[in-house]
Amino acid sequence: MSRPLVIAAAAVFALACLAPVVVMAARVGPDDVEGLLSPRTLDLLGRTVWLGLGASAVAVVLGAPYGFLVARTDVPCAALLRPLGLVPFMLPPLFLAITWTAVSEVRGAPATVWILGANTFPLVALFTARAFERIDARREEAALLVGGLGATLRMELPLILPGAACGACLAFVFAVNDFAVPDYVSSVGPKFNVYADEIFASWQGDQEAGRAVATALPLVLLTLAMLLPALALRRRGALATIDGDFRSPAPLALGRLRWPALAFCLIVVALCAGLPLARLTWEAGGGARGWSAAGFRDAMSRTLDLERTFLANSLVYSALAATLCTPLALILGHALERSRRGRALEFLALLPLAVPAILFGIGNIALWNRDAALMAAVYNGGAMIVVLFVGRFLVFPLLISSGAVAALDPRGEEAAELAGAGPAARLARIVAPGVRPSLIGGWTLVFVLAMRELDAAILVPAANGTVIFKAFNRIHFARDDAVAALCLLIVFFIVLPGLLWALFGRRRLEVIG
Amino acid sequence: MKRARPPHRSRPALVGLALSAAACAPEPDIILYCALDEVHAAPIVRTFEERSGLSVRAEYDIEAHKTVGLVRRIREERNRPRCDVFWNNEIAHTVSLADDGLLAAYDSPSAADIPEEFRDPQRRWTGFAARARVLIVNTDLADPAQIGGMWDLVDPRWRGQCGMARPLTGTTLTHATALFSVLGEERALEYLTGVKQGDVHLTSGNATLMRLVSAGEFAWGWTDTDDFNVALDRGAPVAAVFPDAGPDGVGTLLIPNTVCVLAQAPHPDAARRLVDFVLSAEVEETLARSRSAQIPLHASLTDLEHPLPLERMKVMQVDYARVGAEIDERHGQLKEMFLD
Repeated sequence: MSRPLVIAAAAVFALACLAPVVVMAARVGPDDVEGLLSPRTLDLLGRTVWLGLGASAVAVVLGAPYGFLVARTDVPCAALLRPLGLVPFMLPPLFLAITWTAVSEVRGAPATVWILGANTFPLVALFTARAFERIDARREEAALLVGGLGATLRMELPLILPGAACGACLAFVFAVNDFAVPDYVSSVGPKFNVYADEIFASWQGDQEAGRAVATALPLVLLTLAMLLPALALRRRGALATIDGDFRSPAPLALGRLRWPALAFCLIVVALCAGLPLARLTWEAGGGARGWSAAGFRDAMSRTLDLERTFLANSLVYSALAATLCTPLALILGHALERSRRGRALEFLALLPLAVPAILFGIGNIALWNRDAALMAAVYNGGAMIVVLFVGRFLVFPLLISSGAVAALDPRGEEAAELAGAGPAARLARIVAPGVRPSLIGGWTLVFVLAMRELDAAILVPAANGTVIFKAFNRIHFARDDAVAALCLLIVFFIVLPGLLWALFGRRRLEVIG
Repeated sequence: MKRARPPHRSRPALVGLALSAAACAPEPDIILYCALDEVHAAPIVRTFEERSGLSVRAEYDIEAHKTVGLVRRIREERNRPRCDVFWNNEIAHTVSLADDGLLAAYDSPSAADIPEEFRDPQRRWTGFAARARVLIVNTDLADPAQIGGMWDLVDPRWRGQCGMARPLTGTTLTHATALFSVLGEERALEYLTGVKQGDVHLTSGNATLMRLVSAGEFAWGWTDTDDFNVALDRGAPVAAVFPDAGPDGVGTLLIPNTVCVLAQAPHPDAARRLVDFVLSAEVEETLARSRSAQIPLHASLTDLEHPLPLERMKVMQVDYARVGAEIDERHGQLKEMFLD
C-alpha cells in the first residue's frame, strides 16, 4: 500500500463522506433526544419496519428465483435476461409510482410495498446469482447424482441464503429511507405515513435544528441495524472465498421447466420495468388522446430541445462523481481489504448511506457554505453537487472494489514487490487491471444513483440545474406527454453506460465485487 | 534507463479538468431564490435581465417540497448568505424569516400603492399578486349557490362529496393557521376535527384536489385560485365560490406572493432593483394575465379585467404577522391530527 496515496484518499473520504455527518451530529444536544421515542414515533417506526420487511419480501420472492435462473440454469436468453433484470433498479422509484398508480387502483401500504419491492428486487437477484456461481461444480455434481435437481437445490439453498439475505437487507434499507413513493401513492385518502416522511417534515419551518437531526436517529439506527448484517452476509454469501482449484458449475438443465422459467423471468421484467416504460411511452405518444408514433417522436424531440441543458448538467455531474469515486474506491478498497483493521473501517464507509438524504444535504451546506474563497466557489457552483454525490455514494464502489480485491490472489502483488515495483505501481498495474470489471461496475452504479438522486441534492444550489429536479417539478403539475418523454429520456441516459458495456464490453460488469 | 511512458496517460486528468470547469458557473449579479412556479417567474426574470443588463441566477423550489427547500436553505445559509432576493409564493414563512432577523428592510417605491395590510410595517417584506382560497365546484355535480362557505365541508348533507388538501404544507397549512387566529382556538379545532373525522376526502395538494373535482370524482373542495384557473382554462365544468361572504362570515383568505431582500445580501443594490421590478404594477399585471391568474393588489390595477377580481370577495381580515409566528407550532399540532 502506498501510504501517501491512502492518506490522501482517506482525507477526501473524511471530507466528502464523514464531515457532513459529523457536522450534523454536532448539532444534537442532550435535550434534543429527550422524548424522542413517543408512542407516535414508535408506531411510525413499527409501520416503517413493516414496509421494509414487506418490500424485502417482494424483492426476495422476485429476485432469488430470478438470480438463480439467469445465473445457473439453461433458461433461454439468460445472457440477455441478466442485464435486463437490473433495469428496474435503475428507474427512479417515483417513475414506478406514477405509472403503477395510473394502471392500478391499489394505493397506500400495499402499493408502496409492491413498488419498492419491485424497484429493489435486482439487488437480491444480483447477490443470489453471485452466490450460486460460487458453488463448486463437484459439490453440485455429487448432489445431482444422489438426488437430481431437488437434492441439488436443497444442498445449495443454505449456501445462497447469505447472499439473498444480503440483497434483502439492502432492499430494506432503500425501502425504509424512501418517502416520495409512500407520499405519492397516498395522494388521495388516508396518508400512508412513514418515518422517512416524518424526518423530512421535521425540517419544515423553524424547528430547532438539533431536534430535527435527533428525529432522524431512530431511522439511522434501523438502517445501520440492517447494513451491518448485510456487510457480514455479503462476505459469507456473495463473496464467499473460492478455493484455488475451484471449478465453475455447468448450467443446470431445467428440462420441461425451461419455458415456464423463461415466462417467469419475462413477467418479472415486464412488471417491474416493461410496464412502467410502456406506460411512459404510451403517454409520451399522446396517451388517452390517441397514441401515434409521430406524436411520440414530436414529444421526445421537443423535450430533448427544452431540457438539453439540464440533461447535460446531470450527465456531467454524475459522470464526474462516478469518475472521482473510481480511484478513491480502488485505493481505499485495497487498503480496507489488505489492512488488519480494514473490516472495522467498513462501518465508517456505511455512515453516509445510513444518514437520511436530507440530513446529508444540509450537512454539506453547513460544511461548505463558508467565507473561504475555495469553499465558497465549491458551494456556489456545480462542484458542490459532485462533492455531495461522491460523499453519498462512494461507499458502493468502495465495497465493490474491496470485494474484488478480496478475490484477487495477493501473490501477484508480492511478486511485483519482489521485482521492485513500488506500492503505487503495484496498485495501478497489478491490482487495477485485476479488478477492472468491478471498478467499471462501481462507476456505473455511482452514475446511476447520482442521475436519479434528488433528496440529498434538493437543497444544494446546483441541483436546480439537474434534469431530475425539473422532472419532479413537472410530475407534480401534470403527467402529460412532455413529462413522460422527459422520464423516458432520463431513463435512457441512466441505462446508457450499462447498456454500452453489455453490448460492447468483453467481460461482465461486476457490481458486487 | 528511462522507462517509456504509455501514450495519453494525461487524458483522464484532462477530461476530469474539463468536466470540473463545466461544472462551475460564472458569478451572477443577483441570486434569486424563487418559490413561484418557474413557468410563471422565469419570463419575468428574463425581462428584468434584458432591461437592467444585470444577470440573475434564479433558483427554484421543488413544487412537492415547498417550504422545506428554499426557506430551509436560507436558514442554513444564515452565516454566509448567498441569496439576494427571496420571492416566496406565500407569506407565512416569509414572516417567519423576518422574525428571525434574516431579512433586510427595504421600502420599495414600486409598492407605494399596495395596501398597507399586505406590507410589513418594518418593510422587511412586501406582499403582491395574491392567490385566494376558494371552493372549486363541479357544476355537473353540485349547484354553487348551495355552497355558502367553509362549514359546508363538515355539513352531513355533503358527506363524502367534498374534499381538501391535508393542511400540512403550502397554502392549506397557511389557511389552517389563519383560521386559528380568525376563529379562535376552539372553533378552528372544531372545524379541523370535523374535517378529519367527517367523510371529507383528503388529498396531498390543491392541484390534486382540483384535478379530482374537475374529473367529477368529488363535487367540490378547497383550492387556490391559480389551480382553479387552470381547471377553467382546460374547459372543466367548474365554478368558484368565494366562501363566507355573509355578514358573519370570515371571508376569503388572500395569500399574497412576498418579496424581500436578505439581510447581508451579497449584492444589495442590485437586489433592490430586482425587488422594485418584481413589485411593479407591470409585473402584477403580467401575473394576473398568466395562467395562474394572480389577483393584483396595486390600487392602480383595480380596474384590470380579471376572472377572479377582488370586488367579488369579502377579504378575510387576518394578521399575517401572527400567522407567520404561529405556523411552525400549528404545523406540529396539525401533523398530530392528520397523520396517524
